[in-house]
Amino acid sequence: MDRISECMDGELKKHETRVLVERIKQDTELRHCWDTFHLIGDVMRGEPALSEEFERRVAERLAHEPTILAPRTPTVRRFATYALSAAASLSAITLVWWMAFFNNPLVPQPEIAQVPIIPSPIAAVPPSEQLASVPSDGTMNEYLIAHQEFSPSSEIQGLAPYIRGVSSLQSPKGR
Amino acid sequence: MISVWFFVLLGLVAPALAAEQDGLAWLTKMANASRRLNYSGTFVYQHGDRIETSRIVHFVNPAGGEFEKLETLDGPAREVIRTNDQVSCYLPDAKIVIVEKRSAHRFPALFPEPLVGVADNYTVVAAGRDRVAGYDCQVVELEPKDRLRYGHQFCAEARSGLPLRARTFSENKRPLESFAFTEVQLGGRFSRDQVRSRYAAKSRNWKVDHSALVLSDVPADTGWTLTRQPAGFKKLTELKRSIAGRSNVVSHIVYSDGLAAISVFIEPLPKTRLARSLSHQGAVNIYVRPVADHMVTVLGETPAATVMQIANSLEFRSGRGR
Repeated sequence: MDRISECMDGELKKHETRVLVERIKQDTELRHCWDTFHLIGDVMRGEPALSEEFERRVAERLAHEPTILAPRTPTVRRFATYALSAAASLSAITLVWWMAFFNNPLVPQPEIAQVPIIPSPIAAVPPSEQLASVPSDGTMNEYLIAHQEFSPSSEIQGLAPYIRGVSSLQSPKGR
Repeated sequence: MISVWFFVLLGLVAPALAAEQDGLAWLTKMANASRRLNYSGTFVYQHGDRIETSRIVHFVNPAGGEFEKLETLDGPAREVIRTNDQVSCYLPDAKIVIVEKRSAHRFPALFPEPLVGVADNYTVVAAGRDRVAGYDCQVVELEPKDRLRYGHQFCAEARSGLPLRARTFSENKRPLESFAFTEVQLGGRFSRDQVRSRYAAKSRNWKVDHSALVLSDVPADTGWTLTRQPAGFKKLTELKRSIAGRSNVVSHIVYSDGLAAISVFIEPLPKTRLARSLSHQGAVNIYVRPVADHMVTVLGETPAATVMQIANSLEFRSGRGR
């Protein structure tokens, strides 16, 4: 009994506890003792007592639970969950920061926001489909004429395709 | 039994082959007629929602000299004159003459070799008859075999083969551009005066922009190459030249699939900032982009994607010939 009291107070060593638990399992008197001590502790701490039938009913329900054979959950998934939640926290922080700075009229706008973005001439080429085609304004006429000379279409149609190089409403600029 | 099937099969394939041979033969006939025939007429050039009318005169003298004159009838006056291997564009508004002179051997073996590639890249079919400018004409259709090129349709005058109408269709078979005679006179005696510029005298004080004064007769190695050459396109020529209104020497590389051509112009980057730009003139797409410290202009009568593929895969191979 003293051993039980010591165990409940956490004064026993690991292997001593293991030996004691084995004894309690086999000895009914000791088990009653263990239960009583816990009951005393609950009453002293003011925790509501469970019904007398509680222990038996839990044991019964457990016995009827189907055994689920499931593979062990991979730890990676747990890691992924952590990573995701970490990312979520980060974006939340970013959002809060962004709202605080950019939606707040009292916070001075960062200087960089007012500088027009100048694309570098050798900047990475964005998806080409984004570029809308505009009618030629006549600045390309010299190239059109130079090209026409080498196009087989000139062989079939003669001079007619040269109209492209002198077409366009606007006269060639810059001359 | 086998022989029966052979003839059945032949009966199915032969007309298709015949139509293709016929189509190619008509293409050759058109090219010959355009260069050797005397003719004059009015044609309409339609692109997008715009229509322009021009007058064209073509004259071959007994010595085989070729003279041709194109003048616009509406909008600002413009004239294009061909005298053998020289093409001059007169722009009276700007008081400018652009002179485009070919190298001695006109287009290294341009004709009829370029048309050889046509059958590989287009299904050429002689498809029925039509009538243009009062003449019966043979319809010749060129259906592209992939989306790298446009579709074309010609209507060639039934007897001479002179193309009276040329249409270009987009990848989605929508009309992009059309040349069509509304009135044409075939044959006849022409005088030199008919193919002379009306600005011949006046233009003496105009600015003359000499273009294409090829620096060397041998095709130059510009040092530029393509990493992804569009299927069916072969390099026709590569040279160094001048371009009207540009002071620098420009590298010019031409690719062709037998019918359509794409030109690549490479020159030093201008001082002003250069942004990528895509524009079009009728069926010709024009794409300008900077590549390292160069300005690259690629244009041709093909879909924009083909022009851009060439521009985007252009690479400087070596330090030679820069």
